[in-house]
Amino acid sequence: MSRKFLALILILLLSLCVAGLSSAQDGPVRVAIILPSSTTDLSWSQALYDAAVAVQTEMGGEEAVEIAVSENTWDVTAAADAMRGYAEEGYNIVIAHGTQYGSSLFELASEFPDTSFAWGTSSDAGMDAGLTNVFAYDVRAQQGGYINGCMAGLLTESGVIGVVGPVPAGDAILYNNGFEQGVNACNPAAEVLVAYTGSFGDTALAAETANTQIAAGADVLTGSAQQVPGAIDAIEAAGGYWFSTDVDQAPNWPETVVASMAYDFSGVIEDIIAKRASGVNGGTAYELNLEDGVTMVYNEALEGVPAEVWEAGRQAEADIRSGVVYPLAVLPEEPFRIAIVMPSATTDLAWSQAGYDALVEIQQQLGGEDAVEIAYTEGMFDVTAAAEALRGYAEDGYDLVIAHGTQYGTSLFELAPDYPETAFAWGTATDTGVDQGLTNIYAYEAGAEQGGYVNGVMAAMLSEAGTIGIVGPVPAGDALLYINGFQQGVLATNPDANILLAYTGSFGDTALAAETANTQISAGADVLTGSAQQVPGAIDAVQAVGGYWFGTQSDQSGNWPETVVASQVYNWTPVVGSMIENVLKGTLGGEAFNLTLNNGGLEIVYGGVEVPQEIIDAANAAIAGIQSGEIVVQQELPEA
Amino acid sequence: MTGSSMTLDQILVEALALMFLYSTPYLFAALGEVFAQRSGVLNLGVEGIMLMGAFSGIYVISSKGLGQEPMVGLLVAMLVGGLMGLAMAVVSVTFKAEQGISGIGFTLFGLGLSSLLFKSLAGGVITAQGEGFQAVTIPILSDLPVIGKIFFQQNVLVYVAFALVPISVWILNRTTWGLQIRAVGQNPAAADAMGVNVDRVRYSTVILGGVLAGIAGASLSIAVTPIFQENMTAGRGFIAVALVYFGGWSPWRVMAGALLFAIANNLQIWAQILDVQIVGQSIPPNLLIMAPYILTIAVLVFARQRKRLEPAALTKPFMRGEN
Amino acid sequence: MMTRRLFGQRARLSAADLVVWIVPLVAVLLALAVGALLLLALGANPIEAYSVMLDGAFGDQAALFRTLTRATPLLLIAIGICIAFRGGVINIGAEGQLFVGAVSATAFSLAAGPTIPAPWIAILTLLVGFLGGAAWGAIPGILKARFDVNEILTTVMMNQIAIQLLLFLLSGPMIDPEQIRQGTRISQSAQLPESSWLPRLAPPSQLHLGLFIGLAAAIVIYVLLWRTTLGYRIRAVGLSKDAARYAGISVPRYLTLALILSGGLAGLAGSVEVTGVTHRMVEGFAVGYGFSGIVVALFGRLHPLGAIPSAFLFGALLVGAEKMQRTIQVPSATVIALQGLVVIFVVSSELLVRRWTARRQARALPSAPVLPGVPASASHQEVSA
Repeated sequence: MSRKFLALILILLLSLCVAGLSSAQDGPVRVAIILPSSTTDLSWSQALYDAAVAVQTEMGGEEAVEIAVSENTWDVTAAADAMRGYAEEGYNIVIAHGTQYGSSLFELASEFPDTSFAWGTSSDAGMDAGLTNVFAYDVRAQQGGYINGCMAGLLTESGVIGVVGPVPAGDAILYNNGFEQGVNACNPAAEVLVAYTGSFGDTALAAETANTQIAAGADVLTGSAQQVPGAIDAIEAAGGYWFSTDVDQAPNWPETVVASMAYDFSGVIEDIIAKRASGVNGGTAYELNLEDGVTMVYNEALEGVPAEVWEAGRQAEADIRSGVVYPLAVLPEEPFRIAIVMPSATTDLAWSQAGYDALVEIQQQLGGEDAVEIAYTEGMFDVTAAAEALRGYAEDGYDLVIAHGTQYGTSLFELAPDYPETAFAWGTATDTGVDQGLTNIYAYEAGAEQGGYVNGVMAAMLSEAGTIGIVGPVPAGDALLYINGFQQGVLATNPDANILLAYTGSFGDTALAAETANTQISAGADVLTGSAQQVPGAIDAVQAVGGYWFGTQSDQSGNWPETVVASQVYNWTPVVGSMIENVLKGTLGGEAFNLTLNNGGLEIVYGGVEVPQEIIDAANAAIAGIQSGEIVVQQELPEA
Repeated sequence: MTGSSMTLDQILVEALALMFLYSTPYLFAALGEVFAQRSGVLNLGVEGIMLMGAFSGIYVISSKGLGQEPMVGLLVAMLVGGLMGLAMAVVSVTFKAEQGISGIGFTLFGLGLSSLLFKSLAGGVITAQGEGFQAVTIPILSDLPVIGKIFFQQNVLVYVAFALVPISVWILNRTTWGLQIRAVGQNPAAADAMGVNVDRVRYSTVILGGVLAGIAGASLSIAVTPIFQENMTAGRGFIAVALVYFGGWSPWRVMAGALLFAIANNLQIWAQILDVQIVGQSIPPNLLIMAPYILTIAVLVFARQRKRLEPAALTKPFMRGEN
Repeated sequence: MMTRRLFGQRARLSAADLVVWIVPLVAVLLALAVGALLLLALGANPIEAYSVMLDGAFGDQAALFRTLTRATPLLLIAIGICIAFRGGVINIGAEGQLFVGAVSATAFSLAAGPTIPAPWIAILTLLVGFLGGAAWGAIPGILKARFDVNEILTTVMMNQIAIQLLLFLLSGPMIDPEQIRQGTRISQSAQLPESSWLPRLAPPSQLHLGLFIGLAAAIVIYVLLWRTTLGYRIRAVGLSKDAARYAGISVPRYLTLALILSGGLAGLAGSVEVTGVTHRMVEGFAVGYGFSGIVVALFGRLHPLGAIPSAFLFGALLVGAEKMQRTIQVPSATVIALQGLVVIFVVSSELLVRRWTARRQARALPSAPVLPGVPASASHQEVSA
């Protein structure tokens, strides 16, 4: 009996599958799109519509993909009706192109499980709500904003840049925030004039706003929403430049638009169609970023733009892609107060300086002292004193208090619960204290072995003597990781190399480091490396004999350009940026960050030494190998 | 963000110059509405007529459209505005329709039709940079400090708009037609008894109002902001109607209202871009954007109201023997 | 009073009643005929377009419910507009009053939701919405009564102020904490607690209890305006300020009251929409309802009961036109132009109705006033011929 029943169900299921498959193959994929504004708005709505048409063309025209559009659906109730209508009429994919449509979309999705719904900007694909037929797409508009801002900052002659915003919300504010950061980062002297029109479609008001900014001296403008044609026209009349977002606006204003951040939603639409074809109706949250879905279009035919501006734009794009630069989605409304407690000095050319420099850099990116206030306590080798400093900053109401030393962990875990409103961070560490119920601690560490490996490869090739010295502080923390990675790099390149490793037992004893280096040099070493704030002594010693040095933690080439070949630089800026962003969004801890070559947290920075091309090639190959996972650098040295 | 290095008087000069430019569309539309209302017709369709004028004007002049001279564009906008005014007159004068609602009908129709024409004829944003009316610099005077920039480097249509103010006053107060307009607006039955053709007078004013609203729209699209985008007037027609009440039906005071509204709006933009702060806090932009509207109401509350010019028969259709 | 004739005790359907309803319908058809030319120009088949439209508005139960859902806020706004226009004030400010009502209701529901038990929180939320709209309506009311500031001006301006206020609140003090956490920062409030939602009448459709609130409000306001002293005074002021003053009625008080009640109903419409349909305030909430509400009121001959079929018709027009856009893929602007045409044609057809009824009245009751239309605005003197 039950077997028969089972068989019946099986047959039923099978026939359903066949029916599903055949119906999927029959007729076109029917896509319905609900847009807040018009398909020709040169902005948000047009970006999606154009993508849908592109997908349609690519997949074989109307026979393959059928597109229906409801445009200018400002009213959310009308949008809900439209979504329902499309679902009832049997459309396969209903895309609601506005965050405001989310509530209605979730209601409908449970009712029409066979229809796929997509919405954006959002990262919520409804999995928590138990929905399996919702796609979400999010846009990191701040990235393109940053690139545009950087270029605008370098392009402006008057030093004044205008931003014509619609309302301070949504992806417009992400873009504007990114833009301001880009200007700050590339030209801190430039002034950004922000004004909102309070509307999305008031072209004339956008023009008036632009003209007012031009009257205030602006020669470069940007802005978003379908109102911008008015503003672009105004800046064109004034002979200035415009940076666009959402779609490439250069075809309409080839003499004025310098660069555009263009959304390309076609990848998302294609993937949704493909997923449906394979029987998956939802469950993916897409993110459009520079890697995928956000394209920078540089209007290089434009005359009069200096080469350095194009270069800076491309550099900023590369830096964001690699993670070296991290544009924040949110900007602090009042000064964000960061305090850092560190074992050594802000100028130690090593661990402490790397941390402090990151704070200064993020301060500049976010708009200077009005945006970020930095307090620091240096030379805190005494853990008790450090704990006092941490507590003091928490008492003073700092937003983020950074314990920049592994040794501060115990005290931090003790005092963090007393200040639940304060976010703390410590490194190098991986433990955020979640197991102990702590929710306000971030942890960060550096994958120092990766850059160590790269340095090691170069050192092995550069050393004529085949003898390489390492001046370590104590065999612990990131110094140990670095040294282990370095050795692996050396031995992978020259298995016969002679590695002379010595620890000074101290972090700051410069004289001892010099003595150690000199000893290694006498032992035949012609290439050396080392870690911690003691290394200046060692580098000096290497310079004296004309040898080569590889640095870590900070860029050490400044004082010894002829000696320092390359440094592995810790770039904490993206980590600090992420933490600030999270704190502004109300999350005070619970995340562990790791600097790697992949996420841009680690960079190899060359000094003034003329390095043979083959060595640079080898270094780049090592970096690529580590990034792709082909080369695995162990944190512990394999037992010999 | 740091404050701009401009001094307050520099800012004021810029703001005053922009005030004249941006008050122009309001002024054209509001003057047209003054004529209509003085004859007893409330035309709430100004917004729709402005949109049609704005589209037709730029489509005629833009190289993306017909590529004609600016003057031709202006004439076409006037024609289109006049036709819309004629239609409004047919509805509100001949068919005696309720004026507020028919105006809203014309606003919707103008909004829809202008967007449709825009989509099907132009297909996308139209610009007319350098093709429309340009700013003229009046020799010698434009070089004067301060006032040169404010008064003598404006767009042609700005001068036309402000010249229309005294002309309107003269027409209304010194011509037979003006007398008829006022009579028809005050007491149509009496005017009718004296042999004035009430309907004909109202047709003339509503059509004139349409023509001026058409110019208002065109002044936006071919002079002030040489561009067209769907719904580009964004409520300016309604503000123009409100300004007629602000000015108590007097062209001079309507002009004052247009200037007040324009300067307030421009100053709020300045406040935003200079990041004006109150007790160390930036003012949220949406609160600044409200300011011109609040100010307009406040000024009206504190200014002495004069309703001397109020047309008693406003909004009332005239039906012989029934009023 | 003509309206009593229309909606009063007489149940017998007379030829006059038929004309009153048939003429506007013919006008709608004529408007659609002109619209057909537009559709032809766009390359669409008008017959197909209009049958889709009809189907979208009334085609099946779901469509009908959709129409009713859309009609609900329009009805409430229109009833409010009736009070204002009957009381001699031209309230263009329903849009702003609706926003303020909805936003105060949302704030109240979010704040008090956890502490007040189920049916009461919903009732109080609606009440707060009413009060919010009433307060926003009181401002132009007081300005008109005390300072003689024209209400068209103030209400037009206050719509803009309300929109910016809404944007400010939704992107700042009232923003959904989730929007901050996700970093998306879309202007919307948090979702209202379920205890303040209005019950849905026929899930999965969005039709909610608000429909009956609207119908009840229509009856209440009808009774208020025509069966109470208060209503009589409001209408008296609307018909003639001078006459009202002679009769010892405090004109400023009733002007203000008319605007307060009118704003209150718009505010109620907003809170009904937020508790019944959207469950949160969001940018893009009830856009354009304020203006549609005015048109609905005038279509309903400024009578609260007349507003019922009128709101239904307009809801159908909106819903049907949206379906037309979806199915035939004409630009949304077509729909707007079409609405404009319908308004223009119907309002023009009034003359025929008026002539017809005037002729009848001339036979029966020589001095009876013509159809109400818009009564003389309170600021305008009656003209005696």
